[in-house]
Amino acid sequence: MTDADDGASDDSGPSRLPRDRLFDALDRLVAASATERLLISGSALLLSVAIGFLLILVAGRMTSCGSAAYSLFGVGFCYDPFLVYDSLFLGAFGDFLANPLNGQFATTISETTVLVFTGIAVAVAFKAGVFNIGGQGQLVFGALASALVVYGLSASVSGLVGTLVLVPVGLAVGAFVGGIWGAIPGALKAYADANEVITTIMLNFVATSFALYLASGPFKAPDSFANQTPTLPEYALFPQPLFPGRTDASLLALALAIAVAVGIAFLLRATSFGYDVRTSGIQPEAAEYGGVDAARTVVTSMALSGALAGIGGAVYVLTIAGNFQTGVPDYGFDGITVSILAGNNPVGAIAAALLFGVLKSGSIVVDVGTDVPPQLVGVLRGLIVLFVAMPEFFRMIGERVDVRDRFGGSRDAVATDGGEEA
Amino acid sequence: MTEAVRLDSITKRFPGVVANDDVTLSVERGTVHALLGENGAGKTTLMNVLYGLYEPTEGDVYVDGDGLTYDDDGAVADAPRRFDSPGDAIDAGVGMIHQHFMLVDPMTVAENITLGNEPRKWGGLAVDRDASREAVSELSKRYGFDVEPDARIEDVGVGVQQRVEILKALYRGAEVLILDEPTAVLTPQEVEDLFDVLEELTDAGKTVIFITHKLGEALEAADEVTVLRDGRNVGTVETADTTREELAELMVGREVMLETETPPATPGETALSVERVTALDDRDVVAVDDVSFSVREGEVFGIAGVDGNGQSELVEAVTGLHALEEGRVELAGRDVTDAARRERTRAGMAYIPEDRQDRGLVMDFDLTENGVLGSQHDAPFAERGRLDWDRAEGHAREIIDEYDVRPPDAGAEAKSLSGGNQQKFIVGREFSRDPSCIVASHPTRGVDIGSTEFIHDRLIDLRDEGRAVLLVSSKLDEVRGLSDRLAVMYRGRIVDVVDPDEVTEEQLGLMMAGERPEDVPRAERVVDAGDGGRVGSTDAATHTGDDGDAEVADD
Repeated sequence: MTDADDGASDDSGPSRLPRDRLFDALDRLVAASATERLLISGSALLLSVAIGFLLILVAGRMTSCGSAAYSLFGVGFCYDPFLVYDSLFLGAFGDFLANPLNGQFATTISETTVLVFTGIAVAVAFKAGVFNIGGQGQLVFGALASALVVYGLSASVSGLVGTLVLVPVGLAVGAFVGGIWGAIPGALKAYADANEVITTIMLNFVATSFALYLASGPFKAPDSFANQTPTLPEYALFPQPLFPGRTDASLLALALAIAVAVGIAFLLRATSFGYDVRTSGIQPEAAEYGGVDAARTVVTSMALSGALAGIGGAVYVLTIAGNFQTGVPDYGFDGITVSILAGNNPVGAIAAALLFGVLKSGSIVVDVGTDVPPQLVGVLRGLIVLFVAMPEFFRMIGERVDVRDRFGGSRDAVATDGGEEA
Repeated sequence: MTEAVRLDSITKRFPGVVANDDVTLSVERGTVHALLGENGAGKTTLMNVLYGLYEPTEGDVYVDGDGLTYDDDGAVADAPRRFDSPGDAIDAGVGMIHQHFMLVDPMTVAENITLGNEPRKWGGLAVDRDASREAVSELSKRYGFDVEPDARIEDVGVGVQQRVEILKALYRGAEVLILDEPTAVLTPQEVEDLFDVLEELTDAGKTVIFITHKLGEALEAADEVTVLRDGRNVGTVETADTTREELAELMVGREVMLETETPPATPGETALSVERVTALDDRDVVAVDDVSFSVREGEVFGIAGVDGNGQSELVEAVTGLHALEEGRVELAGRDVTDAARRERTRAGMAYIPEDRQDRGLVMDFDLTENGVLGSQHDAPFAERGRLDWDRAEGHAREIIDEYDVRPPDAGAEAKSLSGGNQQKFIVGREFSRDPSCIVASHPTRGVDIGSTEFIHDRLIDLRDEGRAVLLVSSKLDEVRGLSDRLAVMYRGRIVDVVDPDEVTEEQLGLMMAGERPEDVPRAERVVDAGDGGRVGSTDAATHTGDDGDAEVADD
């Protein structure tokens, strides 16, 4: 990475430590330019497809079927890898050219929308140096609160006025409750030095369990066997002007998600608050020197992160679900991967969420259209996410943790004796 | 002589910094060798090279606890060692006792000592506790250590814990022991005991290297002292043939005497006043002990002292980055003891921090972004919460031009700049705040001579414009040249406040070692010119300093 290190490698020749080589690779990754990062992600995607391709073939040999779906060099395989990947990626768009507003694409849109919110929620916290794993809990509470308040108000307004009042109220309630639920671990970290990873994970359980209690008891829809709150009237949901006959996909909601992502990027880049957040995320010592109140920044950014996840929950209720049902999909956890995939860039989270949405929606098409078992589809999706996310993940580690310091070396110039560390 | 350790022309470079520059160190078997130098002189880096934590950029390491062998020409015949990790160093008989102990608190002394190399029984299935207890008491008896093998670590004192660390190294077969600032956490009595232990060890043929920045201890405990300054070996002396003064001179160095033209100060009102401030360090040890002083407008108040005597904590307490235990800080007559960092900046306090890479700059930000650090909520950069990046860039450019920061590119990331240029940028940013009070901690550390002169001139200009300057530096010529009054700190207290033009370097050296030579020129000349109320507090500090030093002199 620098002259000094190159000098060292010249001197020591082939006996250079493998550990150092790893560190150099990490440094190289941290230093990668935006184009390089795109190329890395692209190659990772191709590599994961190649490996998945082999897996499909192997799995296809190990099952028995009437007629081979695919044959290669005279050997028959039960599953056709081309068809699988075609369905996985392009299936999400349905028959896009003939009818861009088809049902499958609607599913992709609705999934993407929620994931944009949870993705930027994690990204904001990460920018402040806080690892918010509690997105799921914040989303669940946001969703529940939104469903209950909107249902409570839905009797008093209706029609277009109902939509204009209820949707913003639902979003605001989701943001508020999610924000509070995010601020709690923030305050615990800031004022009681409690590790946010632990507290947010624990609060996820609290949120899902408490939501289960409320949705199966006090607020259960009276005429339903499932644990869910009463269904909201259609005028209380997000309007979906472009997808006729669908209530789950709203381009308006997607537009809102994109606007919020851009807004958050602006907030981080162009405001004093964003400057405080970024500074305490990258270099807390310098932030303190620059007059940033570390505790306050942690609480505010966690509240903001929770609020974004809470909006995600409200959007989930007001588009996909139509009420609050227990067993909310893992949008909050997927948000972590979305954020990592996007390198914690709020605008990048839009693209990462789209990839996730495509994969989620595409796997439904694979399930329906081929004999490939859903477990294998899950493996293929997992491979893609793992391969695409890992380079970014290691970049983040390389940026954040000065590994050499921990293991007796240093990347940053160390002028002091460093006795404190050793 | 028989060497147990020879470090041959060791150079260790980190990006942008040479921590060790062609250092040769030879340690004779069966002796105590002190490695003396200020913080940042490269002592610990050098020892980390010996202990296998760092790989030297250049140079060779030779170790043999029984003494190196030589060929006919007198050159070392052993092969140079290559330690890939501390494990290799331990195998070669090198043990290191770190400043912070690495012991498992709920476990017993014997368990801690044998941890990782426990005697086994039942075919290696179980730890043979009796054998390990026996091995430990045998070892402890052989070196005259008074250690109870069954005591729990959490129940024994720091001094005993340190002995357990030493025993741990001995148990693993260490012939060469490195102690990193071993006295930092000990009481004077425990220090005496430690020195007795070191003597026992060397009598038994072990070789001890201990890292310290306290000359008194080096003189008392070591047979030989090697002084490091700025990463170089500036001399190895036998303690029998040297004096405190000589060591102080070696340590601080006299290199280029930067004569700054300092017209006499015309001090005005008190701008910054520090009253009876006590502060703890990270380990909850008292670092600043009842310190009082005041800095007036148009005056440079210098604080000299060997690094690590509480200056860092004092500066951070004044600037709002370190909590006070007791005392009071006033800025222009306003009590800012509990004021947040941002309020102090707004009240006109600029701060050039000691650690530019941790504190002073956000290394991943470019210079434009770094230029607003500390003013990110204030006009002209922020308006209703929004940052004006165009203005910020203009500001960064002005600093770059005026302070000759290279490369002259506001878009360059701070980490891509050399240390000196980083420092110039910080100095420029802080001076451009139009401060009424400037706290400068080691403002020219790592800066080339030309820029040093420039920064000095600017400091004096600011002083002449009527601003108050608190200057902390371990460079004696710098604090002497710039200060109008000079305080010397030792062990968290101000030893005395002297007139920098009259005091001799020898006197300063002794004061930095905690002694109070006769007839030092007190800064009365300047004190008299001040307003009556504040003089009292300065004098009080001097007197409290007296009492503290009487104690120090006794041990």
